Amino acid sequence: MRSAISERACRGRSMLHWIQYVRGYVTVKVWGYSVERLLNLCGNHDVLVWDIEDHGDYHTMHVSIAGFFALKPLLKKTGTRVAVMGKYGLPFFASKMWRRKLFVTGLVCCILFWCLASRFIWDIQIEGNFALTEDVLMDYLEEKGVHTAMKKSALDIGKLEQELREDYDLITWTSMQLRGTTLLIHIKENDMPVYDNRDKAEPDKGMDLVAEKDGVVTYIITRSGVPQVACGDSVQEGDVLVSGAIPVYNEDTTVRRYQYVVADADITLRYGRNLTLEEEVAYEEKCYTGEEIEIPVAGAGEKEVALRFRKVPYAFYDTSEEKKQVQLLDHLYLPLYYGKRTVREYEIVPKMHTEEEMKTLLQEQWRKIITTLNEKGVQIAEKNVTIKKNDKKWVLYARMQLEESAVKLVPTTVAESAEDSDQEDAQTD
Amino acid sequence: MESLKLPKDTMLGAAIVTITGNREAFIENYKGILEYTTESIVLQGKNARICFEGSGLSIDYYTNEDMKISGKIDALRYI
Repeated sequence: MRSAISERACRGRSMLHWIQYVRGYVTVKVWGYSVERLLNLCGNHDVLVWDIEDHGDYHTMHVSIAGFFALKPLLKKTGTRVAVMGKYGLPFFASKMWRRKLFVTGLVCCILFWCLASRFIWDIQIEGNFALTEDVLMDYLEEKGVHTAMKKSALDIGKLEQELREDYDLITWTSMQLRGTTLLIHIKENDMPVYDNRDKAEPDKGMDLVAEKDGVVTYIITRSGVPQVACGDSVQEGDVLVSGAIPVYNEDTTVRRYQYVVADADITLRYGRNLTLEEEVAYEEKCYTGEEIEIPVAGAGEKEVALRFRKVPYAFYDTSEEKKQVQLLDHLYLPLYYGKRTVREYEIVPKMHTEEEMKTLLQEQWRKIITTLNEKGVQIAEKNVTIKKNDKKWVLYARMQLEESAVKLVPTTVAESAEDSDQEDAQTD
Repeated sequence: MESLKLPKDTMLGAAIVTITGNREAFIENYKGILEYTTESIVLQGKNARICFEGSGLSIDYYTNEDMKISGKIDALRYI
């Protein structure tokens, strides 16, 4: 019972403390002729004072702000003096804060910033990827509109998980979670080899093999379809070499209908090609003088500012630029750049190639052409190279016979006519 | 007066003193304070003076209606 009362009293006290804090109070030191009389007057004038302590020659007490102002005439009456020792409570705190406007503004802005920033995704982490690189997945996510600094609410995790599984056959399991402002993506890749059968699916209509270039057929072996040309035939670009429509004949050798297949054959076409390579004997060489200027560069978005206001004092110069993007977190870049631009002066010096140099230069060019041809699967059957030299330039003439499987698949064109003929047959019947 | 069942303090103007242990005293219905030191607090009632004696006495709060004294109370005397 007693404890209940004291508990209530305690709560009452703490409540009172709050009210006192909110309304503000001061600690005052009172001394003089009769402090007791002052206390009586306080009581009579409804001035609340509390925590009155006797320190021998003076008393201390707490009094509310309103009470403190009401105290003045009473002090005069009783011949006591008062001095403020401390100010407490919200009104004083607020006025103190009011004087520190910038600080308070900063504090509020900071809290607002964090509240706002926590509504966005600031980092994306991908785990469990081996064959698919992080860049590929990041690009994919970017395409889907998932990127750093996006709103959390704009993210549909379930849908994204499903799309990721559907778009990559390699990914067999996905799990995404938002932890704070980080999007964690766990994926599992398929360890088993993936067989892609889509390309092998038979089309409804047949496919013809047609020539991609003019030339002579030097080799033909047909695996499916009806060959339209023989070895040694000249063909033009676009000519059908192997037809995908296999005719089925009636007894009277008229075509009853066509069976459609995808034409497949090994075909080599031979064609001639002439080539001219030129190389001038005289040339201009860039000689760097060793003079250079480094200019700091700052940029935001598309715009860029060089922090140099004088003109570059060189007649000829190269510029190279090194830029870095401002990075906040692992995947969070701001559209701000900084770096330096190096301007290097050069002089143009006219020079002449020696015979040796000319030879190597031309050979180098020639070798490059041959390599590219080989890379494309083109074989050189014959070649006839001549070099003409004069004082000004060397010219390389090459006449080559190239062999290449220059064919491509196109949908069968006979198809429609075949159908037509079928219909005509039906009509005549 | 008994039969009216009116509270005695209002009718007689008597002070009510509630003492919890020897550490706290709660006083209502007094006229004023006459003396206040850490050793003694003397209050003026309607008919008598109430004197608290002890050590480390202090007034927790003081209003027109009531007040609270805390500290070690040794004696309470009516003068």
